[in-house]
Amino acid sequence: MNPVLGWRGVLGRGLELVRKELLQLWRDRVLILFLLYVFTVDIYLAGSGLSFSLHNATIAVMDQDMSQASRELASRFQPPQFRRVPAPADPRAAQRQLDTGRSMVVMQIPPRFQADLGAGRPADVQYLVDSSNSVLGLLAGSHAAEIVGRYNLEQSAARLAAAGAGAGLPRVDNAQRALFNPNQNEAWFMGIAELLMLVTVFAIILPAVAAVREKERGTIEQLLVSPLRPLEILLPKVLAMTLVILAGVTLALAVVLRGVFDVPIRGSLPLFYAISALYVFTTSGIGLLLATIARNMAQVGMLAIMVLAPMMFLSGMWTPPEALAPPVRALMAVSPMHYYIDAGFGVLLKGMTLAELAPPLLAMTLLGALAFGAGLARFRRQFS
Amino acid sequence: MKAGRTLVVARKEWLEIRRDRLFMALCLLVPMVLMLLFGYGLSLDVEHIPFAVVDHDDTPASRDYSARFSDSRYFDFRGRLADEGAIDRLIAANALRAVLVIPPGFGRDLGAGRAARVQTVIDGTFPVRAMTMRGYVLAINAQASADLALERARAATGADERSLAALAQPVRLETRNLYNQPLRSVWSMAPKLIMVILMIAPPFLTVLGVVREKEGGSIFNIYASTVSKAEFLVGKLLPYVAISLFNALLLFGLARWLFGAPFKGDPLCFALATAMYVACTTGIGLVISVLVRTQTAAMVVVAIVTVVPAALYSGAIIPIESLSPAAAGVAHLLPAMYYAQVATGSFLKGVGWPVLWPNLLVLAAYAALLMTVGYLLFSKRPRA
Repeated sequence: MNPVLGWRGVLGRGLELVRKELLQLWRDRVLILFLLYVFTVDIYLAGSGLSFSLHNATIAVMDQDMSQASRELASRFQPPQFRRVPAPADPRAAQRQLDTGRSMVVMQIPPRFQADLGAGRPADVQYLVDSSNSVLGLLAGSHAAEIVGRYNLEQSAARLAAAGAGAGLPRVDNAQRALFNPNQNEAWFMGIAELLMLVTVFAIILPAVAAVREKERGTIEQLLVSPLRPLEILLPKVLAMTLVILAGVTLALAVVLRGVFDVPIRGSLPLFYAISALYVFTTSGIGLLLATIARNMAQVGMLAIMVLAPMMFLSGMWTPPEALAPPVRALMAVSPMHYYIDAGFGVLLKGMTLAELAPPLLAMTLLGALAFGAGLARFRRQFS
Repeated sequence: MKAGRTLVVARKEWLEIRRDRLFMALCLLVPMVLMLLFGYGLSLDVEHIPFAVVDHDDTPASRDYSARFSDSRYFDFRGRLADEGAIDRLIAANALRAVLVIPPGFGRDLGAGRAARVQTVIDGTFPVRAMTMRGYVLAINAQASADLALERARAATGADERSLAALAQPVRLETRNLYNQPLRSVWSMAPKLIMVILMIAPPFLTVLGVVREKEGGSIFNIYASTVSKAEFLVGKLLPYVAISLFNALLLFGLARWLFGAPFKGDPLCFALATAMYVACTTGIGLVISVLVRTQTAAMVVVAIVTVVPAALYSGAIIPIESLSPAAAGVAHLLPAMYYAQVATGSFLKGVGWPVLWPNLLVLAAYAALLMTVGYLLFSKRPRA
């Protein structure tokens, strides 16, 4: 430690530098406005715009029978999953309607549908699905299977009863219960996911941009000729940025997540803040590392994309680990964001405690410490 | 506007890009890396779902029913739980994502021809996965009920197989998944990824190139020179358009041969649309770079105006029909949606000019509009 100033002097100097960094950030009006925008409007957009469920899927029914039975079956394709659109006149028109995307499903009920049912002959219903979006294609298919299955059960039950084969048919009612987000409210997931993503983006970009700007303008030399050691230059920077990001988190939690989306915050908020602070602080090491590689803003911007994109896709936010190929899954283990996502959702949505979250937190800390150590080491080597 | 002077500006820009080796490398690498990551990392195929059973009934019927889940390729059977107590904890810790709970009396109810109730508890944290899991459960359950009904009918009536089938399943639903028959999510994603990446990368390159001159002050050389506005802008943008077109080719190759997405449409139509789309997105970059002064601000604005619209308002993830009317309105105002339709149409649907010509018209108009706005806003005599 500094022999002249002693601990207290160094601390005071550090705090003064934190103040300077905060002031500098505050005066960057573009940045402040941007931060305000992303931690409110952007999270709101992400949360309110997305819906992965089968919603308003356009279905055109070519009813070639026009009987009571066929209308009964067609009428079961109802909102919110399905929305009826005018039927095409012939198969060619149907194909065109699917090609242009005017309907997602074309269902064709054959002539003599009712007659076949009455005579005990199987009736074949064609169900054409535009599966160019694979998830929605799957959902449109399984909803139809469910609807037709139910229709069939009713039909056969009536028929069997008529044949004197006993009262009912066996069937299984499978009630589904979704934990943590019972109504499948996408806004909860998307809102939290966007927040955790923004925290990661800023934890890397802010220190990287700040350090490169000092390099580009040459002010880094001024700092280097001062009696400050590299760590004393970096720590206040990182601390100031951590504070700014946590302020953004507070804004997002209070205004958008709780205020607009009614996300139930089931765990302990102090725990979430502690985890986020630790994460931001340690992840900033990656930003510092980038700053030592890049010479100008353009390079640092591109490098940030190169680092952030893989981190996001390996975070488990979009694709669960079990769906990834084993080598990719192994890569996931080294993405600190992966652990932050687990912990973030764990605290906010699942109400998990510190003890339950110990394994991901430990891994996150370890990886973060490594990143910070590497960033600091390279920064030192480059400037001293 | 003279071709010679334009080419000189383009050559100067090209040399500048080439000499910034890291920037040049990143220009070509970033889109490819994004494609690989999105393609491999954003798999929406939900398979190998960690799954367990709580079977309070433990009869042949209940075991048969749960085997339908564990034998499917969607669920990975991880064992039986003694009771419901541990379900929430195991799902919270990501050890399981779905648990089937079969209450006592399941086999008895089925035997008596009644509806038997079961429950599936699923992890609702991530709505996309939860929706897909629901789809699988629905489909498996509908099949189970149909099979049970068939067996019952066989036992009750002793009729021949054909009429039995008609009795138990009066309506046969023949679902055909058009365009993406194996429901492979990477096929769905690949064309849309080209759209998303070409929305983000060209403006990014363009603003960095143009604003760098503004921030560095070298733009004053241009202001003072005899180069006209049009010559400067066209020359300046040419190399970036060329790089982006080259990237488009790379992305196409990755989609086609690495991800194996089928290309069924008209190559010429697709190529032309791609060129116009790149002109559009480069134009977005041009307009932004005329308006902002620093590279940081430029990157920030590009991120805001490209990332969210490309992902949310383009039909990439959610079809336009499922968006709220306001969001659908926004989607129609942006070029991304029109190109997304061309990309999906050309790759998966195999449609060409007859269906897609309006989209090409819109893209061309959009590109012309942006270039004109950029031209009008750019001034060789900036205020202040």
